[in-house]
Amino acid sequence: MDIYEKVQKLNDKKEKYKQMGSEKYIEKQHNAGKLTVRERISLLLDEGSFMEMGLLAHQQNLHPTMEGKYTPADGVVTGRGTIDGRPVCIAAHDYTVLAGSTGKVAEKKMYRVREWSLKHRVPMIWLIDSAGVRIQESIGSLFADNGRHFFDEVKMSGVVPLVCAMMGPGVAGTAYLPALADFVPMVKGTSFMALGGPHLVRAVVGEDVDDQTLGGSKVHTEESGVADIEVENDEECINVIKQYLSFFPSNCEEKPPVNDLPETRNEISEKLMEIVPSNSKRIYNMYDVIKEIVDDGEYLAIKPKWAQNIITVFARVGGMPVGIVANQPRYMGGALDGDAADKAARFINICDAYSIPLVFLQDIPGFIVGSKVEKKGIIRHGAKMLHAVSEATVPKITVIVRKAYGAGYFVMCGKQYDPDLIVAWPTAEISVMGAEGASSILYHKQIANSENPKEAWNEYAEQFKELIDVDIAASNGLIDDVIDPRDTRRVIYDGLKNSWNKKVERPWKKTSIRPV
Amino acid sequence: MTVDIKSIMSGSVWKINVSKGDLVTEGTDLVILESMKMEVPIEATEDGIVKEILVSEGEFVSEDDVVVVIDK
Repeated sequence: MDIYEKVQKLNDKKEKYKQMGSEKYIEKQHNAGKLTVRERISLLLDEGSFMEMGLLAHQQNLHPTMEGKYTPADGVVTGRGTIDGRPVCIAAHDYTVLAGSTGKVAEKKMYRVREWSLKHRVPMIWLIDSAGVRIQESIGSLFADNGRHFFDEVKMSGVVPLVCAMMGPGVAGTAYLPALADFVPMVKGTSFMALGGPHLVRAVVGEDVDDQTLGGSKVHTEESGVADIEVENDEECINVIKQYLSFFPSNCEEKPPVNDLPETRNEISEKLMEIVPSNSKRIYNMYDVIKEIVDDGEYLAIKPKWAQNIITVFARVGGMPVGIVANQPRYMGGALDGDAADKAARFINICDAYSIPLVFLQDIPGFIVGSKVEKKGIIRHGAKMLHAVSEATVPKITVIVRKAYGAGYFVMCGKQYDPDLIVAWPTAEISVMGAEGASSILYHKQIANSENPKEAWNEYAEQFKELIDVDIAASNGLIDDVIDPRDTRRVIYDGLKNSWNKKVERPWKKTSIRPV
Repeated sequence: MTVDIKSIMSGSVWKINVSKGDLVTEGTDLVILESMKMEVPIEATEDGIVKEILVSEGEFVSEDDVVVVIDK
């Protein structure tokens, strides 16, 4: 065979491998409402930017169960490309090849691309669509060598952004890939993740359950909180990955990308005078406030349907990316529970890792109290948020919109949590607890002994109410300013601009003991 | 098919906004709790007809207690 024939043979093989599994399986993939792995990659990456590594890979197993199994690229497409001109690494399962199962050769490819991502300090993106580890290749005690994925992922965590999109099944060990990643979108209806799939669940615990009920996008975006956002289809999933990464630097040593200053920068918002009800028991939707503050009213909400009492969104203010942590009075009155503290703590950690400034919008009646939440460990979960906000050394801007009670005020970056700017609206109420609660506790004897307990209680409460006045905090120099709500956007922008190059040195330690 | 609407948190029932037989849509505030000194609505999670109201005003409810049953 001369070189021309050899090259022809090579090109034919490459062309054939790019056709993925058989046409039958490609059709099945499309009929299931899913794109093929190569369609996904071409949507995600800038045109012509994909440098594939390992196209010629194929399973090499000698075990009889693998005999004759055709596995082009060994069922996972890996390589490097760019998104909006910035490099990323990618590993994407090909469900048309043995249901995207990960064989020995695929493992090697995935290891190589992780190594590349870390060595070149660029984000790593996994597109999961896999039946899991290829059992034929892992059955038996050679399994002793498996599982490097997760070790590496932890090593990469906080160095480069990790995105793990669920675009099909991700079962057993594969479910830990998203769990250890920073951002996990899930496609509605076609994706699911579970430590044990329906077959295993039936066999081991006897429960009869379908994949969506077990671990579909609804379960993980509304109940478990493992995933970040539910998307309608593959296209939307690809778009949300791009949107997410647009807020992030390529690695922890860079600053996040800043967009041009929008023309609306100094715009005053009259709407901000109308959203918050004057009766402080009344609820409202904090998203309405956020829309008035961020560039073009646009944001990317993380875990919007889980722990809805706290809002965590990425957005831009004056072109600068920010992570906003805001209480949501619309849900549970904005009081914090364990899940909300978990959600916020994780979000704060992610922003801190990648130099994304934090903006806190406070309207918090406190942490929920009572036997139910204590048994669920609200102290342990609340501590996560205290830990995260204390550890965060990115620029921090705090705006007290209304309530700022108790430890809720602390975890939402109160004065002692090192905000670079802390301001309040004239409607702000800062106190260890509400006037009514304080009067019940401090004067319980006097109230019980009075002729008219209700009236006595009211009287004492009125006295305390006079002490809950933001002017007292400002005149004692405890907060930086009381602002006109209409000006909030400009004040946040000024705070961010002036603290963009913040640098904080903390005492050396090997690791912090996170209250996980 | 019926759907149980559960309380999202502990608190006392401050106001009941619906009556038996009312047609409700997803997001309708069925019951308002007073909890953490806030008025906290409990919303219908589905469209349907109010079949049963299991709480009365002033009553304490715990997180996950069923407050209203809706007929889909």
